[in-house]
Amino acid sequence: MSIDFKQNYFELFELPQQYEIDKGALATAFRQLQAAHHPDRFASGSDEDRRVAQQVTSFINTGQETLSSPRLRARYLLSLADVSFDDERDTTSDMMFLMSQMERREQLEQVTQSDDPLDAIDAISSEVKADYEGLQNAFEEAYDAGDLEEAKQVVLKLKFFERLMGEIKQLEEKLEDEV
Amino acid sequence: MALLQISEPGMSTAPHEHRLAIGIDLGTTNSLVASVRSGEASTLADENGEHLLPSVVRYLENGEVIVGTKAQAALGSDLQNTIASAKRFLGRAVSEIKTLAGQLPYDFVETEGSVPQIQTCAGNVTAIEVSSEILKSLKERAENTLGGELKGAVITVPAYFDDAQRQATKDAARLAGLNVYRLLNEPTAAAVAYGLDQKTDVDNKVIAIYDLGGGTFDVSLLRLNKGVFEVLSTGGDSALGGDDFDHVIAEWLLTESQQTATQDEFLLRAAMLEGRRAKEALSDTAEVDVSLGEWQGTFNVEQFNALIQPLVKKTLMACRRAVRDADVAKEDIAEVVMVGGSTRVPYVRQLVGEFFDRPPLVDIDPDKVVAIGAGIQADLLAGNKPDSDLLLLDVIPLSLGLETYGGLVEKVIARNTTIPITRAQEFTTFKDSQTAMTIHVLQGERETVEANRSLAKFALRGIPAMVAGAARIKVTFQVDADGLLSVFAEEESTGVKTSVEVKPSYGLSDSEIEGMIRASMENAKEDVEQRRLREAQVDADRSLEALDSAMAADADVLLSEPEKQLLLDARVELVTAKNSENADTVKNAIKQLEKAAEFYVARRMDSNIQQAMSGHNITEFES
Repeated sequence: MSIDFKQNYFELFELPQQYEIDKGALATAFRQLQAAHHPDRFASGSDEDRRVAQQVTSFINTGQETLSSPRLRARYLLSLADVSFDDERDTTSDMMFLMSQMERREQLEQVTQSDDPLDAIDAISSEVKADYEGLQNAFEEAYDAGDLEEAKQVVLKLKFFERLMGEIKQLEEKLEDEV
Repeated sequence: MALLQISEPGMSTAPHEHRLAIGIDLGTTNSLVASVRSGEASTLADENGEHLLPSVVRYLENGEVIVGTKAQAALGSDLQNTIASAKRFLGRAVSEIKTLAGQLPYDFVETEGSVPQIQTCAGNVTAIEVSSEILKSLKERAENTLGGELKGAVITVPAYFDDAQRQATKDAARLAGLNVYRLLNEPTAAAVAYGLDQKTDVDNKVIAIYDLGGGTFDVSLLRLNKGVFEVLSTGGDSALGGDDFDHVIAEWLLTESQQTATQDEFLLRAAMLEGRRAKEALSDTAEVDVSLGEWQGTFNVEQFNALIQPLVKKTLMACRRAVRDADVAKEDIAEVVMVGGSTRVPYVRQLVGEFFDRPPLVDIDPDKVVAIGAGIQADLLAGNKPDSDLLLLDVIPLSLGLETYGGLVEKVIARNTTIPITRAQEFTTFKDSQTAMTIHVLQGERETVEANRSLAKFALRGIPAMVAGAARIKVTFQVDADGLLSVFAEEESTGVKTSVEVKPSYGLSDSEIEGMIRASMENAKEDVEQRRLREAQVDADRSLEALDSAMAADADVLLSEPEKQLLLDARVELVTAKNSENADTVKNAIKQLEKAAEFYVARRMDSNIQQAMSGHNITEFES
């Protein structure tokens, strides 16, 4: 039992092709698709059945991951509108943005010297998350207004935030190990 | 052809046939097997009523293999040939094993292939083979108990098991002759055992699995929605467990009794044993008498709790991290399931309950809960419950990536990605006319190659000569539902495709496994042949003895010289045949001798009857 690999992920999960997403509906559709196509459903089936199931569920899983991630979803919407990304060269040139990113990094470096590093990092983390959400709103506005070039710039900024959040997480883990 | 095979998922071809399926918890210390019988999942006991099979295998010089309690008993006397904790070595290189387990009593051999071997008196064995002996033993137990052929098995693995370790586990199962439906993560199995998929109030909630065994700690967060389990995150400490509780008590005992055990292994062992006894006793009582050598004292719950508090706190740190990795709030956690013998300690239950703000589930024996869940899942995958909508979704525990320029790692699939998954990444050449490229597959979270685990390295050749940057090399990672990885690479810009499939190192290749299976079958055949020969030889000896004693008694009376010669010739034939190492030749010679001696036997019987009758008469007359 296969599926149409040509459909886009919004079609696959029967969701409207837009940035705002109903996480509950995505989760429900994801689980229904998994329940029908997962290789476990074919545990006593033929090798071919299981191979097909493997391919179908890979497609479903990639789709779910793409739509769940704020940045990947934004990027995917742009790619459906024929906006391409060059991961090697594309980067933001917004100086104000880059400055604020550097500031955040400096704050992170000072965390270890504070009285309660875990508290300090929690504070930075929640500020960063708020900014990240602000950027998502900015993407939605640009995308809905048809300003795809601006929307692309926001996606590039989102990537900076993902890296920053990754670093915050690593530092948190390091601090916890030291406790 | 395919058109004729359309069937709905979960529907077996013969829906009314109950297929025998088992779940196996292949543990570091103990292993168990469970199955669903009359709708109820339970672990199966051996002939002595024991459910836990110690994961210990002993090899004897004559090639005999002993598994379980009897092998465990030899740990003190025959350490080198008695392999314990083989699970720790699965899918590992010798260098990794040594750092993992500290000083080991085994002699490891680094082989040309990739699988380390342990030297025993019965030859070299791999951890895969050792594990397969444990699985074989459990398979036999199940076949004897369930009375039939097994259709398939679900085998549990720790959620943190990497690709090589999962591959090795699957290899061991194949070697044991098991059809593996699925490798199942241990925490998921525990949640299934509690039937959490059946509870509507848990639906769309998060479940935490706290697994504190003898030597390891694991925590996993699962989300459950309409019968679908997803592993959200996993964490833990591979060197923290109940044995550490024994250890801190042992240290306390030594301090209190003012003894030092640095030079005295016997004393240290006594302290550890007393520590374990005290720990277990304190699960039911507030204070226990303890002694070490001459020294005697008391040890109470408060002291115990204070000693183990740092250790339990360490497990809670891992819990905190798992909660964050799962991107959920602690309030979202609806149930906490306790697994592993060390969760019997009341203080552990208390602190875990406080951390998650709810009493943990402890109803099912924490030693058996994983096997029971595996048994339920095996029953389901066998197709015995076509109406069930339980589905277990897993994630990969560690990121998978490729080596890029400058010894850095580019992640292709991030950890905690739901599997199965296929992901492709494009690379290009960096030199003009470059015709080959090395593809180095790595696993781990770190940025540099050295800090991660190397899974495989291979070369993609035959790239058409082009200017730098023109070739498009697509590397595809494919991870199946068991978490096993395959990597393909191809150059696609010119339509000339080259592709390579790799299996990670430290596993066995398909041909190696086949070779082992064939060897074990041939060994088995040889064993049967040997037994037949020995039996025939014993029979031959018996015949020869009978003939000799008969002839010594009455050959001169009952046989003529040519008759005697005839029998002696047949005797020589049999003696020669007996040394021929062929059971059929021996049996044939026995038959020939019996045939030759038929007339003699008849004559002896006649003579005996006459003697008996006359003897009888004489006795009667005399009395």
